[in-house]
Amino acid sequence: MASGSKRNISFPRYAEYNCAFKYIVEQALEARYVMPPVLTRRTMELGTKYSPDFVCTPFKTILGSMIEALEAGADTLLMTHGLCRLGYYGELLEQILRDLGYQFDFINLSDYDMSKKKEMLQAVKRFNSKLHPARFLTQFMEGVRMVEYVDEITGEYYKNCGFDAAGGACRAVYQDFLTAMYTARDRADVEKGYREARRAMRAVPLNKPAQPLRVGIVGEFYTAMDAFSNLELEQKLADMGVEVHRWMNVTNQFLHYSGQKNMHVKVRDLCRYEMGPTSTANIWYARECAERRFDGLIHIKSASCTPEIDVMPVLQNISADYKIPVLYLTYDAQTSDVGLMTRLEAFYDMIDMRKKVI
Amino acid sequence: MDKNRLVIGLPRAMLYYRYGTLWRTFFRELGMEAAVSDPTDREIMERGTALAIDEACLSLKIYLGHVAALAGQCDYVLVPRVSNFGFHRNMCTRFEALPDLVRSVFREQDVKILSYNVDELEKKSEKLAFLEMGLQLGCSLKAVHRAYKLAKKAELAEYKARVQKQEALYKQEGMKIMIAAHSYVAEDPCMGKTVVDYLKRSGAVPLRADITDRDGALKWSRELSPTCKWEINREILGGIAQHERDVDGIVLLSAFPCGPDAMVNELIARRVKDVPLLNLVLDSQSGTAGVETRLESFIDIIKFKEGKL
Repeated sequence: MASGSKRNISFPRYAEYNCAFKYIVEQALEARYVMPPVLTRRTMELGTKYSPDFVCTPFKTILGSMIEALEAGADTLLMTHGLCRLGYYGELLEQILRDLGYQFDFINLSDYDMSKKKEMLQAVKRFNSKLHPARFLTQFMEGVRMVEYVDEITGEYYKNCGFDAAGGACRAVYQDFLTAMYTARDRADVEKGYREARRAMRAVPLNKPAQPLRVGIVGEFYTAMDAFSNLELEQKLADMGVEVHRWMNVTNQFLHYSGQKNMHVKVRDLCRYEMGPTSTANIWYARECAERRFDGLIHIKSASCTPEIDVMPVLQNISADYKIPVLYLTYDAQTSDVGLMTRLEAFYDMIDMRKKVI
Repeated sequence: MDKNRLVIGLPRAMLYYRYGTLWRTFFRELGMEAAVSDPTDREIMERGTALAIDEACLSLKIYLGHVAALAGQCDYVLVPRVSNFGFHRNMCTRFEALPDLVRSVFREQDVKILSYNVDELEKKSEKLAFLEMGLQLGCSLKAVHRAYKLAKKAELAEYKARVQKQEALYKQEGMKIMIAAHSYVAEDPCMGKTVVDYLKRSGAVPLRADITDRDGALKWSRELSPTCKWEINREILGGIAQHERDVDGIVLLSAFPCGPDAMVNELIARRVKDVPLLNLVLDSQSGTAGVETRLESFIDIIKFKEGKL
């Protein structure tokens, strides 16, 4: 990269959060953002081909997405740190990409102790050495705001779109909202897009029964949120006429959340300690859904996700105690649409029948 | 058996291979009895497999089998939670989940679980954890203090002796093959022990990457992998970085599907270029023939490379 020119930064596809990454890179880091292409079968094939066999599936997805971002012109890749295997993604991704012969700058947040402000600033400065911290922070927080909006509207969408009276109106509002977020250039754009989406979403006529079927989604941080990775599970459920609830998203897990300790109070009888990075939240929400008399729970994880495998015995106990059916889904790179559909239909029939009996 | 003595069950799996001496000495010094489950056999493995979630690693399946074997044989089963020893010094998240996992699996049975919590990032040191556990068992602070001190001393002395013995092996004549594995994989009779035994039978000297001066290994590990965050994998990486020139081949041995090993072993294979490597993943198979064939051909390759075949 020639000195003085702007970096072309990319971060792999992750649910609908790339609009916020784009905003932060362009506005806060004052660099160019290279939007990785939408995830496709090709992404998975690329990722699977070069990944170790039994690494968790998001690694494969992310590797594929990074290759596609490099093909699209990125010269700087960013990888985050994390509490499970995610924390080691960066180093291995970089090694694999370098072995393939790609040339790029790699900023790995695992190189820094992100609990220390000084090291965090060092990491940020690597993107743009002339960065003004105060200005960066203001713009960064606006990007964070966008994440909150995306999570809020996405949550509303999956709760309602299955009961759309006209068919397609809800979806159109959601698509318009995403377009607004992906093209936002300043705070006014973000706020306007959000307000319009909220208003339009409320105006969509719904044909919802007084007591619709309600299903709670819990699971692993990447696969549970990324529609491509979970084969559009939420949309499929909604289309069957189910109100889909998911607590797990970036906003709830990182932004609005005063720490697992307080959440832990309510599930202390189920787990004495924190069992993994998202385990407390998942156990808490599973019980919350059970107590609120949801009709079913779906637990989503990628193949060989250690923390989520360890949560399963606890969920089995919740299921037994509250008599709530739980569908356990494991996604790997080969999971086909048809198999998922069959299992979802069976699950739907079962919870629907239970609702009529009980 | 004295009826009034508390019996603490120690499952002979997972961290037992790391902390066995520490645990046994600690409970003995507190006047309790430590009951260790028998070495892993097929029955234990099958029992554990039936109890575990299908996708869990072989090590966890074996561990649950050992807990089941101890049920009813002791007052408490010791299942510690070991989360981390500081920044970039984590354990696999499975060790964070272990006490609650075991409690959930054995909810219907009469298994009382004794636990301690090591989480340095939350300012919970091993010493503090042991003191809390001792007090919880009704011992005086003074007695617990003394027991922990003695136990730690015994652990360190034993480990030092093992390291010395290991260092001596590097000076031995013959083909030296380094086994890079977690101790609970390398030493378990149903997992790594078959590999070690086979290597010995074929005249090679099996060495262990993880048995090395631990503080030194943590520094050495940075040469191979600057951001590796798992304590035990860092010890293995450190052992490899330190000794890769002293061995004829390295066997990367892991239990299916070990999370950290899946990634770290891939990285080792990409960065350690000058030594022949064998990546061996162990599953709960009944026979050893498959493993032996692969080891045999690996030894042949090394011999061929050195012009001895």
